[in-house]
Amino acid sequence: MLKLKFLIPTVLLLLGIALYLRGYGLDENIVKVNMSIREEISVPEPEKAITYAYLPQYSHKVSYQRHNQLIEYLAKETGLTLRQVFPDTFEEHRRMVENGDIDISFSNPMTYIKIANSGAQAFARIIEPSGSPTFRGQIIARQDNRFIHKIKDCRGKSWIAVDPLSAGGYLFALGLFFKQGITADDFKEISFASGPGGKQEKAVLAVYAGKYDFASIREGTLNIVKDKVNISKLKIVAETKRYPSWVYAARKGLDPKIKNSIAKAMFKLSMDNPEQAQILKQAGMRGIIPAQDSDYDSIRKLMAKLGLTKNSHKEWEIKE
Amino acid sequence: MIFLSRLRFRTKINLGLTLIVVFTALIIAFFVTSMASEALVDQTRKRGEVLAENLALRAQDPMLSTDLLQLESMVNEVKKADDEIVYAFILDDEERVLASTFNEGFPVQLRKANSSDKSTNIVMVDTGLLKIYDFAASIFISGKKLGTVRIGLSRAGIQSVVQNLMFAIFVLTGAVLLIAVLVSTHFARRMTVRLGKLQKHAVDIVRTHLGPEIYKDSTPDNNLKFYRKFLKGDEIQELTDTFDAMAMNLESHIEDLEVTETNLTRQKELLKTIINVSPDYISLLGPEYTYLAVNKPLAKHLGKTEEEIIGLKDQDLFHAHEAEIRMKESRKVLTSGLIINKETREQDEHDSTVRWFHTIRVPVYSENDSIIGVLSTAREITELKSYQAQLIQSQKMESVGKLAGGVAHEINTPLGIILGYAQLLQDDLSPEDQISQDLKIIEKQARVCRKIVSDLLGFSRQTESEKTEMCFNNSILEVLQLVSHTFKLEQIEIDTVLDERFPIIHGDPEKLKQVWLNLLSNSMEAVNEQGTIQITTHLDIATMTITALFADSGHGVDPQKLGTIFDPFYSTKPVGKGTGLGLSVSFGIIKDHGGTIEAISPLPRSISKGMNLPENSGPGTLFKVVLPLDAISAEEQVVNTGSV
Repeated sequence: MLKLKFLIPTVLLLLGIALYLRGYGLDENIVKVNMSIREEISVPEPEKAITYAYLPQYSHKVSYQRHNQLIEYLAKETGLTLRQVFPDTFEEHRRMVENGDIDISFSNPMTYIKIANSGAQAFARIIEPSGSPTFRGQIIARQDNRFIHKIKDCRGKSWIAVDPLSAGGYLFALGLFFKQGITADDFKEISFASGPGGKQEKAVLAVYAGKYDFASIREGTLNIVKDKVNISKLKIVAETKRYPSWVYAARKGLDPKIKNSIAKAMFKLSMDNPEQAQILKQAGMRGIIPAQDSDYDSIRKLMAKLGLTKNSHKEWEIKE
Repeated sequence: MIFLSRLRFRTKINLGLTLIVVFTALIIAFFVTSMASEALVDQTRKRGEVLAENLALRAQDPMLSTDLLQLESMVNEVKKADDEIVYAFILDDEERVLASTFNEGFPVQLRKANSSDKSTNIVMVDTGLLKIYDFAASIFISGKKLGTVRIGLSRAGIQSVVQNLMFAIFVLTGAVLLIAVLVSTHFARRMTVRLGKLQKHAVDIVRTHLGPEIYKDSTPDNNLKFYRKFLKGDEIQELTDTFDAMAMNLESHIEDLEVTETNLTRQKELLKTIINVSPDYISLLGPEYTYLAVNKPLAKHLGKTEEEIIGLKDQDLFHAHEAEIRMKESRKVLTSGLIINKETREQDEHDSTVRWFHTIRVPVYSENDSIIGVLSTAREITELKSYQAQLIQSQKMESVGKLAGGVAHEINTPLGIILGYAQLLQDDLSPEDQISQDLKIIEKQARVCRKIVSDLLGFSRQTESEKTEMCFNNSILEVLQLVSHTFKLEQIEIDTVLDERFPIIHGDPEKLKQVWLNLLSNSMEAVNEQGTIQITTHLDIATMTITALFADSGHGVDPQKLGTIFDPFYSTKPVGKGTGLGLSVSFGIIKDHGGTIEAISPLPRSISKGMNLPENSGPGTLFKVVLPLDAISAEEQVVNTGSV
């Protein structure tokens, strides 16, 4: 029989182990807090700074991610305090530029046309990742589509476009059809890619899957989706003419020194400098070149042709 | 422990089982609750982390757009979603509160209670009233920290789950304990009843000499079958059965042992008797040269009891010289394994009696062929030695007789010629003549020579004897008549005790007379003057022998020379007084008659007592002549005497 003098320590030891294991990991990092000491909180005021806004074609997070490094670079180069602001809609962006809440606006050509009307002035535009300071739209169909070979074959077919106010993904293509004497009413169906973000990819996938006869997309999209679909099964039926790319504009009344200082810093950016190349790549561009308001006259013409200038502001609220 | 050992077996089993169950339950309860708590806490942590990280992710856009209203609604939604969430709030990168669920002021200390550069961090906030797990999730975009989301989860909810779990475990343990005690009580009762039976059975065995009476007539196998019919066989039952069988076997073995013991005792007694009855001296010596066993004759010879001798050594029992010899021999046997076989001579210190022994010492081997002792047997061969000496003597006498006979035969013829010529020459001369006188001397001496030669021839049986039926007593009486005058002159008295049955033998009367004459003459010379000679004859029908005893009170014969007195030419007389042929001639005659003659000195007490011996007489000598009776004469003896 086991002697008590051995039994008791064994039991105590096992109990000790059990208690130790039980208590382990439960009550670590205890901080005493007196919940009764309270204070009223006030909304923090943002510090005074040059505001920078990116037309919200993507979520705020993406906008931040793409332009944060560029803003930090500009602040460092110019010695100015810059702060990125995030309007929720195209319309809000336009309104904030008009109200002077956005000092530097980065927008698509169509939005620029709108804000230019309120006094904003273009001073720079970007070189697209393709290397060109311009961009265009493309009309694509399945390679095995026996009915669509050229642009006129699209008449009476179903069309998937990116967005009603997308430049490369709809308006440029609509302009091309208009030139060919085809209006929106001549198609069997015009649909737009659903949901926020990734709309270009969705339009390509819809044609690839055979749901629509053809699609209109921005140039460069096929390269983006080459990992997702077999692009050799697709063919480019037609391409639109080139239009100037996205534009930087200064609000009406911004100190020209500030604008020039920023423009100068922007133009210094080069893909030859690894650090700067990283900044440009992150922002989705190859470089920034000088621009002027007249560079966007071609857009103004297209909009006039499509009768969009007469439309009320509400139409612009739709995101690209 | 003494208290424990005094408890009943049933109580011990109950106590032991209860202890085991309680101990196991405690261990299980502690471990299970520990693990469950751990798992719950872990789950809570993960939930809090997910909530905080999710809120941090969702708060990115509103934070970028500084949409405080949306942030406010987000933290309030999170709080509403779960009852255990005590609070939620969002801080900017300078730890300013952007939105919180606290409506009436923000707890100042809470803001800095959980600050870390990690993506998520957990601390336990102790408000004094309750404990809260505080989860902090940083809002990062492109590696830049925009702010922090904080969510507080109450610990009370988890604790209540853990407590419920512990309660369930303890209730279950209690139920198991109750069942275990019930089962163990039943089990213990069943077990102790069996053990009690076994104990009672053991008591019966002790009281009734190996087992209850009811098993006496049954074999162990039957017992087992008998038990198994009525009781289910577990280990205790098997023990009981085995116990019974063991008792039966034991009894049987004891009986066998008793029989074997009796046999062994009988055999031991038998062996002891055989050894003790043996006239030989038998002893067993151990490897340490100590006596392990001796038989009675040896013990008696050594003058001690058997028990006294066992354990002693040779030096304790014998003289130094003899002990040394015995030790040497024993050592030789023990070391070399050789067998000692020898004859030894012992002389008694008191009466100078010589005894001869034939001793054999043999090694005793163990089962593994090593020598473990020496077995010695000593047999007295004094008598054998005596016969051996006599035989040698006879052979010697025969050889000498043949030699003497041959010589005498050759000398007899020239002696006859010498005697004849001496007589012839006397006839030619007058008796007074000197030459005639000389011739007479020659003649006389020649006759003496012839007598000697004749005796020699008689001794060697060269002379022919004519055996006839004759009266033994008469031949003696005739000689007595012849010598009585001479003995009277010498003042020697002759007594005769003759057997009245007058035994008839087949022999040569003349030669026998010569024997008696020689013996009487020998006695007369031994007695010198004023002595007694007794002649006794005795007929022994059983052995068909007639014995004549010639006892004298003379100076006797040295015992060591008794064997040589019958040798030819042996004489104690001075030179010229005798030829020393008398006794040897007598020896030859008696041998020729198929009998024996021997000399005994001093006289045996039985003889000397019956003689009227004068004072200052010697020890005396007895000549004993034994002759075989003739077969016919024996029958005649029966007819004549009418008795056997």
